[in-house]
Amino acid sequence: MMLRTLVLALMLCPPALADVRQADQASGTLEFSATQAGATFTGAFKRFQVRLDFDPARPDQGSLEVTVETASVDTQDGERDQILKSPDFFWIEKHPRAVFHATRFEPEGAGWRASGVLAIRGVEKPVRVVFTLATAGTATVMKGTAALRRLAFGLGQGDWASTEWIGDDVGVRFELKLAPVR
Amino acid sequence: MPARNTLERYGYVAQTLHWAIVGLLIVQVTLGKIADDLPRGLEKLALLARHKSVGITILALAVVRLAWRWIDHPPPLPPMPRWQHIAARLNHWLLYGLLFALPLTGWMMSSASNYPVSWFGLVQLPDLVAPDHDFKELMDRVHKTLVNVLFTLAALHVAAALKHQFLDRNRLLARMLPGRRP
Repeated sequence: MMLRTLVLALMLCPPALADVRQADQASGTLEFSATQAGATFTGAFKRFQVRLDFDPARPDQGSLEVTVETASVDTQDGERDQILKSPDFFWIEKHPRAVFHATRFEPEGAGWRASGVLAIRGVEKPVRVVFTLATAGTATVMKGTAALRRLAFGLGQGDWASTEWIGDDVGVRFELKLAPVR
Repeated sequence: MPARNTLERYGYVAQTLHWAIVGLLIVQVTLGKIADDLPRGLEKLALLARHKSVGITILALAVVRLAWRWIDHPPPLPPMPRWQHIAARLNHWLLYGLLFALPLTGWMMSSASNYPVSWFGLVQLPDLVAPDHDFKELMDRVHKTLVNVLFTLAALHVAAALKHQFLDRNRLLARMLPGRRP
């Protein structure tokens, strides 16, 4: 009897884990900031896919996957974009995508911390993303940040590996509207 | 030599400002020219960063110089034909204008191409305009045109000073030089 109730309850209330959400590209931003000659500038990636499979009640079963098209890098300066796309940085011909995949979620402040692996330019490194989730109608707004070091991924070969003119630290900031996958 | 101007000559404050700006302008034009001829790369980035820092220094000195000129009036010009008097005054004010216009157009170029300006890596300056490729191209042309205007006006300024010193023998040049007597 008890088992039947349990099975029935599970059938009636499917776990929120099945509620996979994807970014609505038009309303999302994925930005980064870096320093050159001591001044901080901001750039963005224009094409990326985000897939969040996360139930705050079962963080251990969550999954976050972000795929970024490296050729979509945009710093509002053509020359700098060409350098970033070249083999000295993202090497878009060989590494058209950068991928972040996290399956470990822990509470952090009012939100969450997702620990995962970021692969850029063929190098995989652990990266933590801190984010919050908020409901906006049927959508979920996901906002967050991450910090990484460009040289750990080989972003900056030859002369560019020097941190005298271009800092090693890179900040990532994103704000996404996630909609349920139908 | 007194700090303030006398009827015969400039004091050491005005002289120091004058010659410091002359020296920095020579450095500045050289840095700009070398950087402009370089292909995109780290060396160009580094030279342009220095160029911007020197430019901001010139702008700051120009502000101090104009303020000092307002406090401490320059010595009157020696007797000369009226047209020369007018030309000398006009040329001085145009040169002052360039000390502001050149750094400001350069700063706008930087802001418009999303390269925020830092003063020697110590202070990041605010952006004057939002990133805008067309505006950057326009400012690029204006900046380079103003450099040619500077060359022309500076050549006239030097030629006139030398003419007064050596042809008219009215010791005009000595007014802007240290020494016991003008």
